[in-house]
Amino acid sequence: MKKLIGVVLLSSALNAFAGVSVVVHPSNDSSFDTSTIKRIFTGKEKSFSNGNKAIPVSQEAGNAVTDEFNNKALSKSSAQLKAYWSKLIFTGKGTPPKEVSNDAEVLKMVSANPDTIGFVSSDAVTDAVKVVQQY
Amino acid sequence: MKLKYTLLVAALSSTALHAEVNISGFASITGGQVLSGSGVPQFGLEPTFLADYPIVSAYKEDFSLSPESLIGLQVSGDLGEGLSVTGQIVARGANDYDAEFEWAYVSYDINDSWTLQAGKKRLPLFYYSDFYDVGYAYVWMRAPADNYTWQIFNYEGVNLLYSGSIGDWGVTANVYTGREDDTENKLLSEFFFQTPTREIWEDILGGVVQLSYDWLELRFTHMRYTNKRFRNGEPEMWNGSDSRDGKFYGLAANADFGNVFILSEFNRLDLDGDLDTYMISAGYRFDSITPYIMYSNFEQKDGDDPEKHDTRAVGVRWDFHPSAAFKVQYDKVEDDSTALAVAGDSESLTLGIDLVF
Repeated sequence: MKKLIGVVLLSSALNAFAGVSVVVHPSNDSSFDTSTIKRIFTGKEKSFSNGNKAIPVSQEAGNAVTDEFNNKALSKSSAQLKAYWSKLIFTGKGTPPKEVSNDAEVLKMVSANPDTIGFVSSDAVTDAVKVVQQY
Repeated sequence: MKLKYTLLVAALSSTALHAEVNISGFASITGGQVLSGSGVPQFGLEPTFLADYPIVSAYKEDFSLSPESLIGLQVSGDLGEGLSVTGQIVARGANDYDAEFEWAYVSYDINDSWTLQAGKKRLPLFYYSDFYDVGYAYVWMRAPADNYTWQIFNYEGVNLLYSGSIGDWGVTANVYTGREDDTENKLLSEFFFQTPTREIWEDILGGVVQLSYDWLELRFTHMRYTNKRFRNGEPEMWNGSDSRDGKFYGLAANADFGNVFILSEFNRLDLDGDLDTYMISAGYRFDSITPYIMYSNFEQKDGDDPEKHDTRAVGVRWDFHPSAAFKVQYDKVEDDSTALAVAGDSESLTLGIDLVF
């Protein structure tokens, strides 16, 4: 039993270092680089390079993967990002991405809607989505 | 007027039975006091720190929570197909927490890049003008008082907004037109003239272009308007005319290198002569603790005893909670004019919490 707990703890510790993958629908043939992803998730870019509308999907602020994505992909702490969005929300210039509660929900949304883009822990990625960037 | 906006918001939100309604808000609970100050003896003004001109947030030698504390609620109804309506109600300690609609507008997304808005909005003169009340959105206790001095800060009109990108540069721009008729302007009536003053800015026409590239952000703006004023019902005359034209020019440049950031703003209002303002600020983010320094300056270019004052500030922002920040700031104001003195020299300390919800 003790051994099992040890294994569980070890694997969750490894999860923390799994990295973040940015995922889109498999049919999305747009080009992505770190700058495009940053602009889409900060509301500065509203379309994919294939011309379709881009709908970013984020995860709840408490999730480790959210902090990692904010830090690595957006170069912002969660507090900085919140301050950034407050400015846009209260001046009528933008709304932050919808937040879902976990990796599974992101995968569900992105695999069902070709206009969405999301991020998940890299070890949660499935064949239902296409990885366009890893951090 | 207030009733009209209430009805507008109510009408638009009730006709759409399936509108998605979002409620969000912000608050600042701030207290402070003047540590030492000269006041303005020739006007009988006791030691005062005027932290916000248009709202008349005046700290005195006794600690007070009233001058800058506020709570704001934003209700936004998304009616679908790009149409939305937004109302923002703000209750300020400086106005005994009487809640007022400060924003009330309808917004229509023409396409991904263009949005048309109409109603009552904040006049976007300065970089921080339209989110001045949302302390959580910026590092300092307040945007520099020396710069944000103009008595009119809202307008009723139309705003066309553009958002797009050119290569790696984000581009936002807007053009707006409208007017504001403030029947009893707070700054002029209560502070400067101490007599009921009606302030009118009409034929307002302005534009803003904002460019952002990774670490750099630039904002250019120009606005022109016609000013009319009635003191005790009597029209104010300037060089034999009951109106005068103002032209505003502004440039803001911000550089953010992750931990180190530099913020700056340079503005000129040409209103019977030039009134120049600028500010420069820098800070460093140590994880959740951000110390900063700031210098701001106001200078009237003409006259023997022009209006002239500046502020040196040092402070710390601490993001102690995912949705709240604690701030403390020390301000040292020097007021160099006699006839056009504002509030005299002062040193003050303010501290408080800004939050969003």
